Amino acid sequence: MTYSFPDEVLEHVFSFIQSVKDRNAVSTVCKSWFEIERWCRRKVFIGNCYAVSPRMVIKRFPEVRSIELKGKPHFADFNLVPDGWGGYVLPWIVEMAGAYPGLEEIRLKRMVVTDESLELIAKSFKNFKVLVLFSCEGFSTDGLAAIASGCKNLRELDLRESEVDDLSGHWLTHFPETCTSLVSLNISCLGSDEVSLSALERLVGRCPNLTSLRVNRAVTLDRIANILRCAPQLIDFGTGNYTAELRPDVLSNLAGAFSSCKELKSLSGFWDVVPAYLPALYSVCSRLTSLNLSYATIQSAEIIKLVSHCPSLQRLLVLDYIEDSGLEALASSCKDLQELRVFPSDPFGAELNVSLTEQGLVAVSLGCPKLQSVLYFCRRMTNAALVTTAQNCPNMTRFRLCIIEPKTADYLTLEPLDVGFGAIVEHCKDLRRLSLSGLLTDRVFEYIGTYAKKLEMLSVAFAGDSDLGLHHVLSGCEGLRKLEIRDCPFGDKALLANAAKLETMRSLWMSSCTVSFGACKLLGEKMPRLNVEVIDETEPPDARPESCPVDKLYVYRSVSGPRFDMPPFVWTMDEGKILH
Amino acid sequence: MELRLGLALPTPPFDTNGSCSSSSSSSGGVGGGKKRRCFDEESRVGGGVPKTLHLLVWNTNRRDDGDEPRDLDDNSSSVVLNEEEGLVGWPPVKAWRKKLRRHNGRPNNNRIAAAKNSCGGCRASNSTYVKVKLEGNAIARKIDLSVHRSFESLTATLMRMFDISEEHQQKSFRLAYQDREGDWLLAEDVPWGTFIRSLKCIKLIRSRSC
Repeated sequence: MTYSFPDEVLEHVFSFIQSVKDRNAVSTVCKSWFEIERWCRRKVFIGNCYAVSPRMVIKRFPEVRSIELKGKPHFADFNLVPDGWGGYVLPWIVEMAGAYPGLEEIRLKRMVVTDESLELIAKSFKNFKVLVLFSCEGFSTDGLAAIASGCKNLRELDLRESEVDDLSGHWLTHFPETCTSLVSLNISCLGSDEVSLSALERLVGRCPNLTSLRVNRAVTLDRIANILRCAPQLIDFGTGNYTAELRPDVLSNLAGAFSSCKELKSLSGFWDVVPAYLPALYSVCSRLTSLNLSYATIQSAEIIKLVSHCPSLQRLLVLDYIEDSGLEALASSCKDLQELRVFPSDPFGAELNVSLTEQGLVAVSLGCPKLQSVLYFCRRMTNAALVTTAQNCPNMTRFRLCIIEPKTADYLTLEPLDVGFGAIVEHCKDLRRLSLSGLLTDRVFEYIGTYAKKLEMLSVAFAGDSDLGLHHVLSGCEGLRKLEIRDCPFGDKALLANAAKLETMRSLWMSSCTVSFGACKLLGEKMPRLNVEVIDETEPPDARPESCPVDKLYVYRSVSGPRFDMPPFVWTMDEGKILH
Repeated sequence: MELRLGLALPTPPFDTNGSCSSSSSSSGGVGGGKKRRCFDEESRVGGGVPKTLHLLVWNTNRRDDGDEPRDLDDNSSSVVLNEEEGLVGWPPVKAWRKKLRRHNGRPNNNRIAAAKNSCGGCRASNSTYVKVKLEGNAIARKIDLSVHRSFESLTATLMRMFDISEEHQQKSFRLAYQDREGDWLLAEDVPWGTFIRSLKCIKLIRSRSC
């Protein structure tokens, strides 16, 4: 095929194509497009750091400026993946230090990042701009100090939900006085001991482009006013502790500081809230589109008061203290609501401590037509409520329901919740993410396999009766990328019968199911492009008969073969050998 | 449900002779030559790489599942239980949120407590993992405290972790901890709540050395 366009023209056209999916599509058109595209690809997204090796990425895309990597499986968030499993970023940094001197952005999720990695980043990339460490661990404030002092043009430092060894709050002083480039700083996860508050205020004061700032619990309420006055251009602000003895002058000072922030649209933080200080926020509430109160242990009445001042709210994260009454108020005040997350205040308590039920969910579904994303922890549910929710919100794209007690039936009919979730997948045709809970039989999986054609991620726990359930999902959900299962009676048959499907997915996690060691070995042997990892902290899987179920199984597709950085409790099944 | 095995296994996949704790791993049978042909036919579809590579072919013609449906209540072999808190990783609340709950408590009582306690945590970092050492053992381990609610549960896990299975051996150890001020104390002298809030790291010491 001949082209009349020179390469530079095609490259220019491609520069308008930013999305990874589109870029991937472009590269498959023909050989010459593949070549042109790979040289001008600037952004790479790797959803599983073990699916490909750094060398392979570098070989194909020699001029990358931005990379995003994800490491541990999602269930690591809930302590199901043992410490030391893997997800180390250092090998990537080492390779990229040599190959991508112009690298500007690194975004990591659930990876192990060491101070050594951070120091290497600070040293190797002269134009480094963006570091996002989402749910990462393994580093300390020493590493942060290296980033602060080494990265002269740092724009974004976002440590959201990471676990940082807080050795010293003075790392902030390592930002040189000449650093004025910060646009986003999120240190909300840092331990409450020390943050050099004066260094923080000076840093904030000299960065005129700072639009997102999330401080940690060490920053007390009285300091917030100062910080806000230094940065009235803020769009997103995360407070520290929102608590102090009530004093009218402090309150009015705070209210004044908030009202000077004309662009403020998003608020979070609010640890240890003293409700009397909430009115300080009223001046920004009308503009507020995102509010995270999920650490705030304030009662329903106070939440209602606050939320009723926020008619533009699109996103709300809150504890179940909001109760059904609060959700009803939300439904009548916030017609633009798109995302709601309700977290449990007492997840391990056996007793109902708050009046949050299926009614709240129904109320929001009725009142908020734009609702797309729901995460809801509660203690009781009915099929009827789920059906109503589904009918009210056909545009739902993410639906995660967690009924706290496993295998809880519909409390009115005592039936399984199959029909309810069936309605969700049937009505919400664009559903991409679904988490199930409650009493569920194989039926629900039949519905999912039949209707959930756009589903990309499914989380299952304590559900199903037999392999048929798993088979429905693997054979029916065409768009499935991630499947994570715990404590379900799913075993070898469904897995082996759908082996090829696993190559079309990013990963499969199964723990406390009934997949036998023999089946894992077979899968690893016959599917060379899958890494089949068996995780068992108590004893090696071959110490027991092959028919015994494995404790945890993690299967993911990979073009770089089995990894060799596994800890003693992880075995890879590979071509008949068990690698360790 | 009839299963046709596309690939011959060296040994039957479900060995009912093996003694193991799972109760319902027996199902289906493995066949012989006919199955191999079935796989070959499949593999011709779509050229080089079989489009539908099945290691087992799922036959949906038979409605009734040949298997015994798994007893819904038979979880004992596969569910890891922690005495007080129930299941590991359930409900699916991130570890750092769980920790916040314990510090925050109920809204009514919280205002004053919060004002006094504004730095909240008992540890410098947000991690719920603490170092554990066994006296005489050079290597320290780490344990997640957020899944424990009692000394019994913690001690049981520690015994498992360090492989101290004999009861008389177990009795010879005592649980000690180092608090934030650096002092070493015996866990048995304090209530669980105090222990959790003030500890920095744990050590299993032999009774003799007290």
